Order: sequence, then C-alpha cells, then structure tokens
Amino acid sequence: MAASFASRCSRVSRSLFRGLSNNSPGLFTTSHEMTCSNSFSQLQQQRTFIQMRTVLKVADNSGAKKVMCIQALKGKKGARLGDTIVASVKEAHPNGKVKKGKVVYGVVVRAAMQRGRCDGSEVKFDDNAVVLVDKQGQPIGTRVFGPVPHELRQKKHVKILTLAGHIA
Amino acid sequence: MASQVVLQQAMMLGSSSILQTNLNQCFPSKPLGFSAMVSSFRRNAPLISSSVSWRCAPLIAKPATFVARADSNAEGADAAASDDNVEGGGEEAASASSEAEAEAEAGVEEQVEEEPKPPRKPRVKLGDIMGILNQRAIEASDKERPTPDLRTGDIVQIKLEVPENKRRLSTYKGIVISKQNAGIHTTIRIRRIIAGVGVEIVFPVYSPNIKEIKVINHRKVRRARLYYLRDKLPRLSTFK
Repeated sequence: MAASFASRCSRVSRSLFRGLSNNSPGLFTTSHEMTCSNSFSQLQQQRTFIQMRTVLKVADNSGAKKVMCIQALKGKKGARLGDTIVASVKEAHPNGKVKKGKVVYGVVVRAAMQRGRCDGSEVKFDDNAVVLVDKQGQPIGTRVFGPVPHELRQKKHVKILTLAGHIA
Repeated sequence: MASQVVLQQAMMLGSSSILQTNLNQCFPSKPLGFSAMVSSFRRNAPLISSSVSWRCAPLIAKPATFVARADSNAEGADAAASDDNVEGGGEEAASASSEAEAEAEAGVEEQVEEEPKPPRKPRVKLGDIMGILNQRAIEASDKERPTPDLRTGDIVQIKLEVPENKRRLSTYKGIVISKQNAGIHTTIRIRRIIAGVGVEIVFPVYSPNIKEIKVINHRKVRRARLYYLRDKLPRLSTFK
C-alpha cells in the first residue's frame, strides 16, 4: 500500500509540475490530483457520526427492526457511541410494543465510528445499532442482542448493561 | 593545549604521505576535539595538520611537511562525523605516549590528561531524544510486564483491567489485524466476531491496564494490515 501511495504521489507531483508549466492543462491536472488524493483516502472508509437520516438497527426486542435518526440530542456533528438520539421507526415486527412511524428515543449501543477510551484504546463495531428507551432512559424492550460497550456505564445506562448478553 | 602536545609528538613522527592515506581511512573526530582543532585553526596552520594526523594514526603517522596540508585537513575535518570510538582510542594512545613531554606545561596539560581518563559520555543529539525517551518508557513498562513479540496474523488473548469496571480482568481474544509502531504508543488492532457482530478494538501494547498478552496461535497472512477481513465472511474472524 505504501508503494502504491508513493507511485500515486509521484504521479500527482508530476501532474502538478505540468500544471505549473502550462496554464490551460493546469485546471485539468489539479482536478486529477484531487481525485488521486481522494481515492487514496477512500481506500480506508472514514466512519462518521450518527446524524439525521442515519438508519440504525434495533438491538432489542421492543418490536422495531430499523429506525432512522431524526435528531442527535447531544453533539453538534452527530451522535456517537453511548449517546441518545431521537428516531422514527421505519420497520417493525407485526406485533410489537412500537409500531411503524412512531417517534422514539434510542441509545446508541454500537457504532461504526471508533470511540476512544481514557486508556488510549479505541473500540468500533461493524454496524450501527440502538436500544429503544423511553424519556427517562429505561429500555422499552426486555432483552438486548449483541455486544454492548463499557461506555454505557459512564452514561448511566446500567439497565441496558445488565440486560446485555456480552459487554465488549 | 592539546594541539601543542600534538605538535611535539608530530615532531617525533614523520612523513606526510602516510598522513594523507590516514586521512582517507579514518573519518571521525570527537566534537570536543573538533572544537580544539577549530581553535587551533585560528592559531596555526601546521598545528592543524599534525593534530589530525595524531588523531587518525597515533603510532604510524610521520608528518614531514605541515604547511600545505591545511586545505586537506579542512576537508577532512568538515567531513568528519562525530563518533567516539576512534577518537577516544586515538586520544588515549597518543596521550599515553606524549605524557612525558606534556608535563612541561602544567595547566594546559592537566586538561589533556584528565580528559581521556574518564570515559567520554556520548553527546545526545536533538533528533535522538524522542527515541531515547521512548526506549526508556518501553523498558520501564517491560519490567512490570514483559510484552511478547506481536505480529499481524497472531491470534492473541488480552487480559485487561478496566478501572471503571473493577471486576476481574475482562479478556479479549481475536486476530491482530494491524500493528502501528509509535514507540510507547505502539498499538495493535484486534478483530473478533462477538455475538454475531464484528468488533475491532485498538489496544496500546505498553499500557499498564493490560495485565497479560498471550499469543495463542498464528495464522499465515501475506499482508501487514488485514483490513480485507472486514469484507469477508464472519467465519474468518471468529475465534472460540
């Protein structure tokens, strides 16, 4: 990967030089250089926050299957692991406690964006998932599926931790 | 001064041809010695040549013509990297032989005799400082808990003490998919499928929270970073 980056860099520098020498192809070469650098950074996916329109899985047995985030309650850019969000239920089990179209609160228990811990470690999951809660923070469902991180303890979501099968 | 001692010794010795060959052979000169030479530059050209010859070849060199050597010596001095070993050896051997003559002048000679006796401490360059600090920190952490040699593709088990948890040692098992070397903050990224969901955790290897790292197995991989495992079947990242 380092070799390919070096070769891409040399291509970029050569295109830059050509751009400096002539004005008319300069525009084309600068755009070429930008796409080169973009493609390299896109080799590693940049995971970001959970924001409006993010679809998340539901990790409990409250009846919903997929929810879409409407609002991240804390954070300017979006919600992270352990934060609470307001969501709208997009997909639900036929007989469950929540129905499609209902606006619910949820706690993010798995996020694809890494979250740093105080000892220098970082944790990231392969998917985004929430556990639906009520306004007071108590989970609606009775079981939680999949691993949950330690961070919930700090956010005072102890009930979810006790329901969880595995703590990451 | 050292240069005067050198001149006396150079008188004893001899020809210039060997001086030139010796200049080519040996590069280094100690920083202090270099400054002494620089100060002697200002005084006298012949002294310079003799001082360089003295350093490079304590026993062999016989400088005959001192004068014209100034230019070559300047080049030799500029090209010299600071290194202790040759300089220290040369200086000690030469000073031992020249001690007889050196005793004539009291104050200057004492400097020369005292300098070679204690072993010279290597001067720390600015660029080395972070490396030295990192080494020390790693040694300090190794004393408490030895860290095994970890490579990408190792299947490891890590026992971690989480201060907020305070329960006995959470364990993490998984395959090392990448290792980032950064001195004391060398980290490894462990991947595992837990309860159907892939989890990747980055651990700083030399953290005091990590109580034990054990390499259980090793999988043959042909890459330094196994990010392709994220797209593959979960079966490949599952470890019982």
